[in-house]
Amino acid sequence: MTRRQWLCLAGLACLVPAGAQAAAPDLLEPGKAFRISARLLPESHILVRLLVADGYYLYRDKLRFSIEPASAQLGAPQLPAGTVKDDEFFGKVETYRGEITIRIPARLPPGADKLNLRVVSQGCADAGICYTPQDQRLVLNAMGDEALPAPPRSLLDSLEGR
Amino acid sequence: MNRLQQLFAFTAVALLALAAGLYFRTGEVESATAPPTPPGLMDAALADLKGVKTPLGTWKGKVLVINFWATWCAPCRKEIPAFIRMQQKLGPRGLQFVGVAIDEKDKVALYAREMGINYPILVGELDAVELSRSLGNQLGALPFTVIVDRAGKVVKTELGGVDEARLTQLIQPLLQ
Repeated sequence: MTRRQWLCLAGLACLVPAGAQAAAPDLLEPGKAFRISARLLPESHILVRLLVADGYYLYRDKLRFSIEPASAQLGAPQLPAGTVKDDEFFGKVETYRGEITIRIPARLPPGADKLNLRVVSQGCADAGICYTPQDQRLVLNAMGDEALPAPPRSLLDSLEGR
Repeated sequence: MNRLQQLFAFTAVALLALAAGLYFRTGEVESATAPPTPPGLMDAALADLKGVKTPLGTWKGKVLVINFWATWCAPCRKEIPAFIRMQQKLGPRGLQFVGVAIDEKDKVALYAREMGINYPILVGELDAVELSRSLGNQLGALPFTVIVDRAGKVVKTELGGVDEARLTQLIQPLLQ
């Protein structure tokens, strides 16, 4: 019997959950640290909403957007200005925190009723760790419904499925 | 014992147990940071900067510090000068740093040259991420550092930057 089990018998220790995550008890999964949703607006824009958890940030210049099918037209993303961070190693970089809305001109090909949006992003936690780039895919329909990404995965995970 | 005394006794025992639970819980998290050594760890092989597959067993018998990092990761860059210093100082006593970069080979090679990294660098993508996961890095985040003793057993893992003094303190007994 472990010390913990003895203590559990003795009183309330069993009510205290054991450390849930060994290596990083307080860090969020990247899919929870950086939430993303998107929808296709009737006036032919994609509206991407990023919600960055407190204590985390995304690099503005690491965001990449692409769509499928290739026949769909995608314009230049209208990225709002970020917060300028004077990084010790990378110089002045713009980061996103909190809620960010990005508009991307996009047009469905004739006859299509949906398109696949792929978003690659990379962010870090103020706690001093960085996540491998995240590769998320969302299916946007012509109805303008809000889409969430397919199960979050890292860019490197996606190589597996290639 | 009247009701009040009973309540007091129960509360005291409960608080004591809660405090003890919290105390030992901290201990559990600490000890849990050294995950079981994955089977075949020393056989795990990644490409070096020349593209040659190199197993970790190349350095068996040394105290290994495996540092997962990337050039795009600022906290990773921050600790590399300390690793260079430690390799220089403790290398002759059997310490061997091995950098595992989850990155593009050319960027890594350029950075290693610029920084004068004096220890071997392996480069990987999914294979390197999987290796770090097998060592307990479930978030796949960087930097992630693993200390392996001379027998090839994982002694400690750290997610996030490692302080030079603390790392030296952890390594010294293993070099004896």
